[in-house]
Amino acid sequence: MKEGFSAGAVSNVQLLAAKDKLSSSFFKRGIIIGLLSGICYGFYSSFLTLGMSTGIWSQWYGPNTVLPALAVTYMLAALGSAVNDTISAVWAVIIAATKGKLGDFFRTVKTKPGAMIALAALAGGPIAGTAYVACLQLAGSIVIPITALCPAIAAILSRILYKQKLTPRTILGILICFAASFMIASTGFGGGAPKGLVLGMIVAFVAALGWGIEGCVAGYATCMVDYEIGITIRQITSGLTNLIVLVPLFGIIAGGGLGLSFDLIPAAVADGHAMMWFVISGFFAVYSFNLWYKGNSMCGTALGMACNATYSFFTPLCSWVILGLIFGQEGWAIPPIAWVAAVVMSLGIFIMAVNPLDFFKGKGGAEA
Amino acid sequence: MKPLNYAILKYFTTVEEACADDVIEALKGQYGNFKGLRKPAVIEAVMTAEANGLLEETRYDLDKNKELRVYYHAHKEGADTINSYIK
Repeated sequence: MKEGFSAGAVSNVQLLAAKDKLSSSFFKRGIIIGLLSGICYGFYSSFLTLGMSTGIWSQWYGPNTVLPALAVTYMLAALGSAVNDTISAVWAVIIAATKGKLGDFFRTVKTKPGAMIALAALAGGPIAGTAYVACLQLAGSIVIPITALCPAIAAILSRILYKQKLTPRTILGILICFAASFMIASTGFGGGAPKGLVLGMIVAFVAALGWGIEGCVAGYATCMVDYEIGITIRQITSGLTNLIVLVPLFGIIAGGGLGLSFDLIPAAVADGHAMMWFVISGFFAVYSFNLWYKGNSMCGTALGMACNATYSFFTPLCSWVILGLIFGQEGWAIPPIAWVAAVVMSLGIFIMAVNPLDFFKGKGGAEA
Repeated sequence: MKPLNYAILKYFTTVEEACADDVIEALKGQYGNFKGLRKPAVIEAVMTAEANGLLEETRYDLDKNKELRVYYHAHKEGADTINSYIK
């Protein structure tokens, strides 16, 4: 790469300054977008949980529920994801239409990168989304930091699938993340842990695996597909798959047959009070994933995912503020060790994704 | 007609090098009414492609309005990737 000079132009110093400013602002914008996705994730999670504890949902989850235990844990989780993602898909279509991208959306769906995003959506949507809702239901937001392992998983998958380098720094970050997971697990050894903590942790890891796959595969596709189009593909794929495949499947597994999903889906949609929260959670879900894709495409997948993983702070924080303080629900207080673990995990993710020395000099770059 | 982002990337496989202004000029006939063909959006799309290894910066200078102009090209690996995904 070489610098050029226009006739009678400016000094080399000014030219370099302009170029540095462009590169620096692009990099910072990518990081800010990635961090915003983490914040949106916190709001999305909190409003989703609020929706799933309101109206008919409180009856389904309540002590006098008429539903089988399997349906309560997994079918309702899938239903929550289905309702959220379907509403989120509607939001995504509205946003794409408003920005004049609907034509490109239909043109992209039929292409190879579009198909890659749809496949990644299956891993990150129905599988990870349901696991995420289930782990929240089982153990509360204490297990959320485990789902923040997805950047580490994505780094390993990138190594396997795309032959990307795993540097010693990346491996160190992964080890720190797993150490943080163990710290969270240690809360299960005492008497005050949530009843479903261990199972919740396992299910949370499934969510991390799904998002790791999605981040790895979709991150690669997003450098070609417009991020708002990509997210529209994702949410439509995820919402419809949850609604048409996963919810009925869990209904059959739970012993209620197909009829159970035909009972629950209309009942969930008809509950206006709960749906109000789903409309809000769906909106935040669009921006959480939309900005995640955008951040990944601008910073590189590893750094983008690391920035997004700040949801390990924002989810418990938003849950505590919105569900605990504002709506008076109990059980959203976070044990101190979980906060410490979240900090340690975020540090591990950060070290894994970017050289701290370069980052603080403002020259950082993603290194998957 | 290809999606705009695809058309931008494909364009780089047909020229030795290009800047955002060249992209806009080349695609304005078909995509002139797209918001994504505005200069800041094109610059971001091109820089994103560079960040993901599809394009490579070749040089930069100032245009007659004293605005920074960065040129990129699709190196062999980048062009092969673009062509394998975008037909």
